[in-house]
Amino acid sequence: MIVYLIKRLLSVAVTFFIVSLVIFLMMHAVPGGPFTEKDMPLSEAVKAALNARLGLDKPLWVQYVNYMAGVLQGNWGVPYQSPGETVISLLQQAWLPSLILGGSGVIIGAALGILIGMAAALKRNSWIDYLASTLSVLGLTIPVFVISMLLILIFAVWLNWLPASGWGKPERWILPIAAYAAIPLATYARYTRSAMLDTLNRPFVTALRAKGLSETRIIFQHVLRNSAIPMVTVFLPMFMGTATGSIFVEAMFRIPGLGSYFVSSITNRDYPLEMALVLMFTIGICFAYLISDLVYAWLNPRIRLGDDAQ
Amino acid sequence: MNLLLKLAGSVALAASLMVPALAQTVTVPGQSTTATYMDYMKTVYARAAGSDMIQIGLTAFDKDFNLTPIAAESWSQSADGLTWTFKIRPELNWSDGEPLTAEDFVFALQHAATTGYDFAWYWSFAGGIKNWDDVTAGKADVSTLGLKAVDDKTLEVTTTAPKPYLPSVVSLWYPVPKHQFDKYGEEWSTNVETIVSSGPWVVKEWVKSNNTVTLAKNPEYQGPWKPEIDEVVLDSSLGLPEVGVPAFLAGDVDMTSLNTGQVAMMRQRFADQIHTNPVFATQYISFDLEKAPFDNTDVRRAFYYAINRDELTSTVLKDIAIPAHSILPPGFPGYSENVAKQAVFDPEKAKELLAKAGYPNGEGFPSIEIWFREEGGYNGAILPPMAQYLQSQFKQILGVTMNIKVMPGKDWMEGMLARKNNIYLAPYEYDYLDPSNFYGLFYNGGRHTYHIAAYDELVKQADSASSWDERVNLYEQAEQVMIDQGLIVPLTHPVTMNVVSDKLGGDAMTPNKQGFYPNWSGYVYTHLTKN
Repeated sequence: MIVYLIKRLLSVAVTFFIVSLVIFLMMHAVPGGPFTEKDMPLSEAVKAALNARLGLDKPLWVQYVNYMAGVLQGNWGVPYQSPGETVISLLQQAWLPSLILGGSGVIIGAALGILIGMAAALKRNSWIDYLASTLSVLGLTIPVFVISMLLILIFAVWLNWLPASGWGKPERWILPIAAYAAIPLATYARYTRSAMLDTLNRPFVTALRAKGLSETRIIFQHVLRNSAIPMVTVFLPMFMGTATGSIFVEAMFRIPGLGSYFVSSITNRDYPLEMALVLMFTIGICFAYLISDLVYAWLNPRIRLGDDAQ
Repeated sequence: MNLLLKLAGSVALAASLMVPALAQTVTVPGQSTTATYMDYMKTVYARAAGSDMIQIGLTAFDKDFNLTPIAAESWSQSADGLTWTFKIRPELNWSDGEPLTAEDFVFALQHAATTGYDFAWYWSFAGGIKNWDDVTAGKADVSTLGLKAVDDKTLEVTTTAPKPYLPSVVSLWYPVPKHQFDKYGEEWSTNVETIVSSGPWVVKEWVKSNNTVTLAKNPEYQGPWKPEIDEVVLDSSLGLPEVGVPAFLAGDVDMTSLNTGQVAMMRQRFADQIHTNPVFATQYISFDLEKAPFDNTDVRRAFYYAINRDELTSTVLKDIAIPAHSILPPGFPGYSENVAKQAVFDPEKAKELLAKAGYPNGEGFPSIEIWFREEGGYNGAILPPMAQYLQSQFKQILGVTMNIKVMPGKDWMEGMLARKNNIYLAPYEYDYLDPSNFYGLFYNGGRHTYHIAAYDELVKQADSASSWDERVNLYEQAEQVMIDQGLIVPLTHPVTMNVVSDKLGGDAMTPNKQGFYPNWSGYVYTHLTKN
């Protein structure tokens, strides 16, 4: 297990450096730079002075080495957009709304999706099953900004039950959380339904029934646990996905989260901010998969990690 | 007595509790999505929302475009017309209590001239400040600039040529707090804690992830145009009408702009709350005057008469623009009805002129390609459908085949300056409220490499004449030269449509003489009330 963990952590480190190198090169390969895309371009002398101050006049490999040396020491640089801040201080102000809304959306969506999926599997071919399938298809096919718009129109404009947008008071969180929850709900409803149907048809379930175990016990203690394995693997990556998925939800609901930085850092060629967002996301995704695998093994003892991995 | 004291205490307590509830906050779209500094004199193109509201310019314009003294209480021009003296109001202070001095204004421009200000060209092109170009190019010391703080409250500006419109140019001259700069450097304007204001508002909060800025009344402010509302929230995430309209419908915000698709629906629901705001901008066709077929004046003038501007704006553009009959938009200082009435739709005259140029019914006319640049905002909404309309109009009336090429902004500008094509669709938006701004585009090469001696002479005279009436007359003559020689074809002036809450009132919510509502922040938010 320890050997497995060490190997995985090494692979995280390798992935981190490969991603950092690829992103760094891609950022600089895109024509233009932080000071060339303005309506009223600066003079060459001023541009040169700015580039020198930010180290952009150095060879690319020197810039990369300097940047990564800073990152390894915990210094993610100063964003060009906000020179009075550091990248970390800027992101610190924005991560909480994204975490609260995205996290709640995924947890609530997953929980509801599991319940709907279970109901659909247990009542196969009934109206519940058809309704669950319809909900899943709608959740997966309607773009999140359309869902956001519909939620605002129905609950804020027509019914006037909730505020349409903004941040601060908990009642402002309800609609964006609902918008965030749509995809996890649809995904989990589908996953749960198919996984449970698959498990229900296995011989061990028939054996359990023959032994006289109650249906409730069979479902919750055996079927659900066996069906949970594929669902666990998608949970944390989906949770991380809210970071990038937040662009539209945060824009529609005017939430001061990370979403706008994903767009503005690219359009403004704000290299430090862009690198930090991508690298932090990379670390997050790597650890999400690592934790998923560990939970996977815990749920299914037949799966062994490490040298004797099957 | 005790009872009275208790009663008075209760009333005071109730009153203090009511204050927050009565605070009037107006939430509107912010101007910027890429904000770096909250200092207009550091960057115009990457400034944070509110930069031009927290500081006061020397002058400003009211809703009828009357020039109004703000930080300056008066000004005078020397006999040779080259030196201006501005007297700063003695009662003005920074929000931290420090006095606002002439030195703060001098420092603002000295710093801008030496650190790569992205609006530096304005102070040469519009301001004509002595030695500006040499200092910005690093050829002369900053102390040689035509700027001087005579004493704490007297500012002297020297220009290279007489600039009769300098008082309007200095409406964009905002002070920089030197005492704060000395402590914190450039970064003084990046954090709420270190930003100080000279104007009616102070920064209360700045959420950088979505560039939302909350401004509150500046208790230190003693100048003109004091605000009536308590707070303004400039929320840049409301900039998209797709986000702003649902928020407006739900009552979350007080104003939002509308896109073309939303105008009809919102007009139906909020007929009395739709405000049309002028944008002092003109979209026009320009030519390469030396390349066939546009080296012929009659060809250019045929294009001038071949456009039904009313149909273009009312049907194709669904009223997101108004017809342009001159380079100056209606209401802009110097706008002339005499000039505007000539740009009529006259298909017969257009055909005659084209035939006179040797292309009857367009026969023999070469295929042309009009170039325009990709843009967002109102230009992005207007240019593509307008180009298609022109294409069909020129085909139908003149028999001319015109193709369309959309280009990135940089390529378009380079192409136009290098004269790579012979016809362009060009937008231009004002930088300062004086006719010289628009006429300067065509002066002595200018934006389009036009060199028309008669035009250049008239503009030159108008630029330095001291009487306003004389200047307007000369500019009118200059535009007549433009019309006679078919230098440009004015097409449209964009307008923006906003829907505003019926709770808003005050002078900012009543239309001006032209029927437009003001949209410049300095005036609007200090002349606004909320019920």
